[in-house]
Amino acid sequence: MGGLAEPFEFEFFVRGMVAATLVGVLCAAVGTYVVLRSLAYIGHGLAHSIFGGAVVSFVSGISFYIGATVWGVFTVLLVNAAARRRQIGGDAAIGIITTCAFALGVALISRHGRFTRDFDAALFGEILGITGGDLAVIAGVLVLSAAAIFAFWKQLLFTTFDSEVATTYGVPVPWVEALFSLVLAATVIASLQVLGATLIAAALVIPPVTARLLTDSFTRMFTLAALLGGASGLVGVYVSWFVDVSSGATVVLLQGALFVVALAWAVVRSRWPGTGGGERLAAIEGATLD
Amino acid sequence: MVEMPPTSPDHRPPPADPAGEPLVELRGLTTGYERTAILREVDFTVRRGEFAGVVGPSGSGKTTLLRAIAGQTRHFDGTVASTPRPGERALRLGYVPQVEAINWNFPLTVGQAVLLGRWREMGWRPWPRRHDRELLGHVLERLGIGHLENRQIRALSGGQQQRTFLARALIGDPDLLLLDEPTSGVDIKTRHEIMHLLGELNRAGTTILMTTHDLNAVATHLPRLVCVGEGAIVADGAPEDVLTPEVLRRTYGADMLVLRRGDAIYVVEHLDEAMAAADEEAAAAAASGG
Repeated sequence: MGGLAEPFEFEFFVRGMVAATLVGVLCAAVGTYVVLRSLAYIGHGLAHSIFGGAVVSFVSGISFYIGATVWGVFTVLLVNAAARRRQIGGDAAIGIITTCAFALGVALISRHGRFTRDFDAALFGEILGITGGDLAVIAGVLVLSAAAIFAFWKQLLFTTFDSEVATTYGVPVPWVEALFSLVLAATVIASLQVLGATLIAAALVIPPVTARLLTDSFTRMFTLAALLGGASGLVGVYVSWFVDVSSGATVVLLQGALFVVALAWAVVRSRWPGTGGGERLAAIEGATLD
Repeated sequence: MVEMPPTSPDHRPPPADPAGEPLVELRGLTTGYERTAILREVDFTVRRGEFAGVVGPSGSGKTTLLRAIAGQTRHFDGTVASTPRPGERALRLGYVPQVEAINWNFPLTVGQAVLLGRWREMGWRPWPRRHDRELLGHVLERLGIGHLENRQIRALSGGQQQRTFLARALIGDPDLLLLDEPTSGVDIKTRHEIMHLLGELNRAGTTILMTTHDLNAVATHLPRLVCVGEGAIVADGAPEDVLTPEVLRRTYGADMLVLRRGDAIYVVEHLDEAMAAADEEAAAAAASGG
């Protein structure tokens, strides 16, 4: 065979492509809520702090998934506690705690004196090193997250749109927020091997913002973001085989290119009144990476 | 002598039966946000069928009074008791926030926004059933925005935006409608339309509590007026009893004139304002008549 079908001859490559597609869908779907709640920075911070958790679990010889989960939950609790003090503020609390958690990971690596492949993967992703176990974790998180989002669709939407008013209409907002934090943490942990701490924030943010440029309906934005995320995962990894560039970086660059195309489309449409392009362009002005 | 135009009688529903069933009772309530109490030791009752307005300067606590009933504040002392309909655990509230408090960039169509008010009745499905869609169509038609179901909420006029969130409140069949400044930021004609609509809803049996900063065009037309100043209820009763220079001084901390002509009451800071208010009323009467 060879040629365009050549990469499919390798099982590790097919596994990587499936993993990147699933992670693309997962990050974009969860990222829709992250973007609409202006939480992009916490996704970014969480990914970095969980890198610290990955190192600690490696050094202490426990499973990455257990260590990272405990570490992630601990970080989120610390951020919440710090952000409650008015003098600090949420974004500063995230900045301090997550970078310290990240630095602790870096400190442990330098103390142990070896920068292994595992850490490289946690930082930049190692799509082609995905094992069957990793793939099962990713698929599991995707199925559970999809079930949670489906079952609490209306409560999540109401809380994301206006949490205070949602309380008045009887939505159990603290429970919905706790559920969402859990889904977000699970998403970041499951995606770490594929995209790495440095690229997860992009996969959470870029597809939803691109989708927002193309529609004014929440349902369509969610669906479109998941499709764009999945497609860029699939195509990005495939293309990376031929251009010989890091797979995670190729996926994110592809998402960036799609964003630029959508932005150009929105600009062109805004020149014709009545199409809604201008309003949508104005709507995403506030939604930047951090 | 200043010539005053007559008030339109259809804005003025009859006062509710003072012996009517209390829907919500605040007793000795001290409430606010985080560690700050905004309202102190407030006693206040809303009875079924009432149409009451809350007035006061910015920061006096009128929005907090509404939000305390809506369950969005933190109670430090006292009680909030309500009388739900038989077989239900809590009062059904319809809450319409201030337009400034709404995230207009959110990708939500009019239909999606209104259906949030019915999230509990819609069951486990994320999407509306046929009955929900019929009810949605009915509520939108009743408020005159049936043709806007698929429009994004930003792409609406001020009056249409108020009607959208009024529809979200009404689709849940509320026992009590809470409106925060429903006439702020809209033109005179829209203000008249909204007040006319609220009067109709009240005559059809809906209990309404609203805040307003507009004494002459809105507050004096309501059957009951509550004056809030510096975190306390200064006066509570019919506008003709409540609107006195003494009460206004204690509410607003400023000297104001109260002019009466027949049933009409005008509150002004200076006499030339009375002329302007009269002109505005005449213009509004002409606009809503045309």
